[in-house]
Amino acid sequence: MPPTDQITIRLAINGDEAALRTIWVQHAPRIDALVRRLVGDPEQAADVAQEVWIQIFRALPTWRGDSQFSTWAHRIAVNRTLNALRSMRRISNVEVEIEDDTSVVEHDGDRSLLAQTIDEAVQKLSPRARTVFVLHDVEGYTHEEIADQLGITSGGSKSQLFKARAKLRRLLAHLVDAPAPAKEDEDNVASGT
Amino acid sequence: MKTMSHLAPDRLAALSDDTPSPIEAAHITTCDACSAELAAHRKLARMAAAAQVVPGAPVSSFDSLVPRLRAEGLIAAPDRGAMVRTWSVRVAAGLALLVGGGVAGRMTAMRELPMLPTGGAAAAGGASNASVAQVGSSFKTSDDALRALAASQQSYQLAAAFLAAQDTTAHFIGLNQNTYRTRLKALDDIAAATRAALYQAPQDPVLNQYYLGTLSAREATLGQLRQVTPASSKMRSW
Repeated sequence: MPPTDQITIRLAINGDEAALRTIWVQHAPRIDALVRRLVGDPEQAADVAQEVWIQIFRALPTWRGDSQFSTWAHRIAVNRTLNALRSMRRISNVEVEIEDDTSVVEHDGDRSLLAQTIDEAVQKLSPRARTVFVLHDVEGYTHEEIADQLGITSGGSKSQLFKARAKLRRLLAHLVDAPAPAKEDEDNVASGT
Repeated sequence: MKTMSHLAPDRLAALSDDTPSPIEAAHITTCDACSAELAAHRKLARMAAAAQVVPGAPVSSFDSLVPRLRAEGLIAAPDRGAMVRTWSVRVAAGLALLVGGGVAGRMTAMRELPMLPTGGAAAAGGASNASVAQVGSSFKTSDDALRALAASQQSYQLAAAFLAAQDTTAHFIGLNQNTYRTRLKALDDIAAATRAALYQAPQDPVLNQYYLGTLSAREATLGQLRQVTPASSKMRSW
């Protein structure tokens, strides 16, 4: 992903539509993927992603350039998405726990499909376990940061994470139990060749 | 030696990035089932990390964002931008007039071309500063000034076209390839400086004026350079 340069951001702050669009084009694939993973439901994810982008653009003047723009934007995306999830849960007042461990997610060897397969399995986790798993194992947050974001204890975050991993282990058994590829094949996959 | 039962699934999940206790480590090294489970969890962790770098198709839409961004003032109002651009282009034309007028004025001073317009900046290159000093008292409204700019631009273009057709410029005021190249270099420096400044203040009308005016002058100079460059020599730069 190309780094968003300061000139583009400055133009965007000044209301330049083309610069705003450039920022969106550069970062929407990852930001929206994060939102989709956290929210689960595609339609709700689309609504939340729109709100996330409004928030990012509103906050542009506060970006000081002391961190990667993508990291800064990700933080906003996580905060806004978690807020949206809290609101949605307050409205529904129901936490949908899907415990259908018998279902499995089909595997395809292609790298992007691998990500899609994991995404689909992640959607089968409870909302809280999904949030903790995505933040910790995908986005690299610490348990302390997650605890702070979600208003739980660090131990609670760990507990949710281990449950999520154990469940994913079952859902993705066909993937993780598959024989490891030869070293050369693994390198090729890693380099995308 | 103390033995233990298989590790719990949650504990195996934790050990994918945690350090086992000595007892757990001893068990894992001797238990094929737990060892395989731990390997599976670590593989799952690697796959999850790899999934992070795979972006997907956006679920948001920039076009759908635009009305809200505009309503909140996060996108500049289109009319205002268009006004700034239009005004800048007009003023840039005026700057081109000043730059070109200076050349034409110097030329007329040396050759006294009676067919040149007698009014406007083209008539007195050496009087540019005085003209600028009088600007404040010459116009009552912005529209008056813009109309004057448009009229002057038209006069300048007619005069420049005439002079280009007569091919008098280089001969009578001593301009040659070197002086044109020197001027181009100076104009490029000005363009680079104003372009850099525009990144910081993209809607500043004065910067727009100088930038666009410089580009206009540069184009005109390029044309003049081509005229004095022998057909046998090929311009590789500028």
